[in-house]
Amino acid sequence: MKLLALLGVFLLVGVATSQDGARLLAAKNLLNEYLVEGKDVTVLYSIYNVGSSAALNVALTDNTFPDTDFNVVRGKLSVQWERIAPGSNVTHSVILQPLKSQFFNFTSAIVTYLPVEDGAEKSTFTSAPEQKGIVSLKEFDKRFSPHYMDWAVFAVMTVPPICIPFLLWSMSKRKYESSGVTGKTRKN
Amino acid sequence: MASLGCAFVAACLLLLVPFSSAGESCLKPTVEHQIYTTTEAVTSTDTVFLVEFDLKCSNAIKNPFLYADVSGRQLPVSRSGDNLYQVSWVEERKNAPAGTYTVKLFDEEGFSALRKAQRAEEDVSTVTPLTSIAFSHKGVSQGPIVSSELLAVVLSGLLWYAAYSAKQRILS
Repeated sequence: MKLLALLGVFLLVGVATSQDGARLLAAKNLLNEYLVEGKDVTVLYSIYNVGSSAALNVALTDNTFPDTDFNVVRGKLSVQWERIAPGSNVTHSVILQPLKSQFFNFTSAIVTYLPVEDGAEKSTFTSAPEQKGIVSLKEFDKRFSPHYMDWAVFAVMTVPPICIPFLLWSMSKRKYESSGVTGKTRKN
Repeated sequence: MASLGCAFVAACLLLLVPFSSAGESCLKPTVEHQIYTTTEAVTSTDTVFLVEFDLKCSNAIKNPFLYADVSGRQLPVSRSGDNLYQVSWVEERKNAPAGTYTVKLFDEEGFSALRKAQRAEEDVSTVTPLTSIAFSHKGVSQGPIVSSELLAVVLSGLLWYAAYSAKQRILS
């Protein structure tokens, strides 16, 4: 149902704009379930041309990731395509690493393009993923790491309550056996 | 009269220059590439493939328009600077097993030949790409198969069984 509604909107936009060349719709999405400090975050940009002609000199620029908050691992935050054919779409992705744990407002990137050759440049915004929480690495590890260290410490801690009684018992058993009175002889 | 002839020839050549350079294709292309693929399940809900490359042509062609073909799917290549390109795609995890992937790069001429071959349902492997980039994807790790909690429960169970059987032996 949702898909149908979306298709309807796309069609409406397509019909409304079929007269005036290319028209781009752009989305910006985060592909991560959790955003974690120091772990890779994938940002996916999808641009659809719903117009009637090819969009030319399409440039995507995202200045919403300050150097103080994000580190770019791979990919560029500013790219261009010479043309995007009508009815087709392009995707672009960038891998970032958040440097701080915080609530970060992910806002829109800008797409500029020429709807018709020799026409005026048009610009549009991508959708925005909006405010999302970036979890600290410590918090994330607490929930998802295998806790090998914690279990090792627990195992070491269980050694004295198991081994001390066992040692006491085996010492007394040895002493009892060395005194010459064994279980078997006593029974007889 | 001779000088007028020379000027005419020169003018003709000048007029031809833009056409010849526009139609010229990249000769002896070499690419330097950097690859990123998703390795951890936490990094991305889907598997992301990202190839950044720097194209060099022996005839110093600048910024040719490129298309990529990845396992039969055509993608336009985005440009991030002079002769710097990026091609990226997202695949559902079950459709992106570990293994070797090849990105074939086509210029406009090669791409139209590829499309023509596809339309005519001919063998597309006969269309030679400008160049291609092969890389291996290691697969996505989902974390350890056996959780540490389960391992601890099993170990403590074994310990209890050893102690219990020892007790039974002593008592009998």
